[in-house]
Amino acid sequence: MRLEASVGITVGIIVGLVIAFALLKAANTNHRMKTDYDERQQLIRGKGYMYAFYTILFYEVLMMIIDIGEFSLPIESYAVHCVGLIIGVIVLGVYCIWNDVYWGLNNNKKTYYAIFVVCTIFNLIPVIGQASMGTLIQDGKIGLPILNIMVLVMMAVLGIVFIIKKLTGKNSSEEED
Amino acid sequence: MKNLRLKSARAALDLSQDDLAKKCGVSRQTISAIEKGDYNPTINLCIAICKELGKTLDELFWE
Repeated sequence: MRLEASVGITVGIIVGLVIAFALLKAANTNHRMKTDYDERQQLIRGKGYMYAFYTILFYEVLMMIIDIGEFSLPIESYAVHCVGLIIGVIVLGVYCIWNDVYWGLNNNKKTYYAIFVVCTIFNLIPVIGQASMGTLIQDGKIGLPILNIMVLVMMAVLGIVFIIKKLTGKNSSEEED
Repeated sequence: MKNLRLKSARAALDLSQDDLAKKCGVSRQTISAIEKGDYNPTINLCIAICKELGKTLDELFWE
C-alpha cells in the first residue's frame, strides 16, 4: 500500500513537471523554458532565495524538535516537508513581488495570470470535494488535500501581496520622478 | 543619489523608461532604480545605456 502510494506520487510529480515545462514554454514570450532576468533582478532574487533557504532551515529544525518531542500535528508526517517547501516558496515569492523582481523579462503576464487561476481551481476542486464528503479530516489529521490547501494559501498570500503592492504604488507602473 | 543626467538624457531623446529598458535588455524597474539612485549598475549595463543614449560614461555616470 505504501509502495503504491510512493509510486503514485512519483508519477504525479513527473506528470506535474512535464505540464509545468510545457506551460513555461507557452507562457514565455520567446517560448523558452528559462525565464530571463536582468542583473538587478538576479541580485535581488538571490537574496530572496537566501531568505527562503533560511526559512526552510528554521522550519525543518522546528519540525525536528516537534518530532523528537512527539508532539502531534494535524497533518501527516510526509506532508510536513511539503508544507515547509511551500512556505519557502511563499517567502521567495513575497520578497520578489515586494522588490519588483517577480516578473522576468520574457514572461507573458496575462498567460501567467491565467495559469494561476487554473492552478487555483485545480487545487480548489479536491479540497471542496473532500470537504463536501466530510473526509477532509480523518483520525484528527488532514490527508493529502493539505498540499492543495497549502498551494491555495500560497496563491492567496501572493495575490494579496500583489494587490497591496499595486495599491501602495510601490511597483511604480508609471514613470518615476 | 539620483542620476538626473541619465533621466534628462533619456527625456531628451523622448524615450520612456520602458523604451530605454527594452533597448538595453533590462526591466523598466531597473532603469527607474538607476535614475532614483537605488541601484548601481554594472559597467556592462552602464555601457549599454550610454550606447543607447549616445553619451559617454563620464557624461552619465561619473561624478
